[in-house]
Amino acid sequence: MKTSFQIHNDLAELDTLLEQLQILQQKWSLPKKCLSEINLILDELITNAIQHGGDKKNYPIEVTLAKTGRELTIEVVDAGPPFDPTINALPDTSLPLEQRQCGGLGIYLAKKFCDCWHYSRSNNENVLILQKTLPKDCG
Amino acid sequence: MKTTITKENNAVIFSLNGRLDSNSAPLFEQELHEFMTAPSAHLVFDCNKLDYISSAGLRVILNIAKAYKSGQFLFSTCAMQEHVQEVFEISGFDSFITIYPSVDASLAVLKNQQ
Repeated sequence: MKTSFQIHNDLAELDTLLEQLQILQQKWSLPKKCLSEINLILDELITNAIQHGGDKKNYPIEVTLAKTGRELTIEVVDAGPPFDPTINALPDTSLPLEQRQCGGLGIYLAKKFCDCWHYSRSNNENVLILQKTLPKDCG
Repeated sequence: MKTTITKENNAVIFSLNGRLDSNSAPLFEQELHEFMTAPSAHLVFDCNKLDYISSAGLRVILNIAKAYKSGQFLFSTCAMQEHVQEVFEISGFDSFITIYPSVDASLAVLKNQQ
């Protein structure tokens, strides 16, 4: 089972993301918590791509979700400047309040909610592939 | 996300309803401006109807927690849905922001304050 959709580089498009995921939730009978986690992963990656997309306006972000049994593969492709989130510095979540900064928290959350991820740059595009094993009732 | 603001004795309660993401965070931050710059009352975020939070929302909450850190007033959150609380905890925010089970529990603690 596979589905693809495009998100334009505008933060209002996060609503489009939610709509697409809600369609998928029905189709694949995903539990609410599961949908929320997939939403968070994609929200953080897409927000990051939009905010760091530089001057290049109106390039679409291609999202593909494929499900085989309980294995979910998420692919995010964008034509923005090269950015490899897998080597991005992650925040130290054990720091006390005064020292906490918010940089990198979105990427950190995306990483936490998937099992593994792989980045490559090809044809001037960022290609990020994530894998996530869904809970037992999603088979 | 919609916010409803109520006052209860010495506390201001923000009830958060909907999704706190990079779309809604800027407006939420504006609504909180006076609390960020000069806290003049205890502040409680009732998260009962908060369905979703991303790092953009966490950033606003971190800034509020910092604004309240050194003053005489307290900031707390309460009644989080399980998946929202999980995001909070994974981010390490539960180490410096108290999450009470209900608004009443939040207010009960404040009653003992000035």
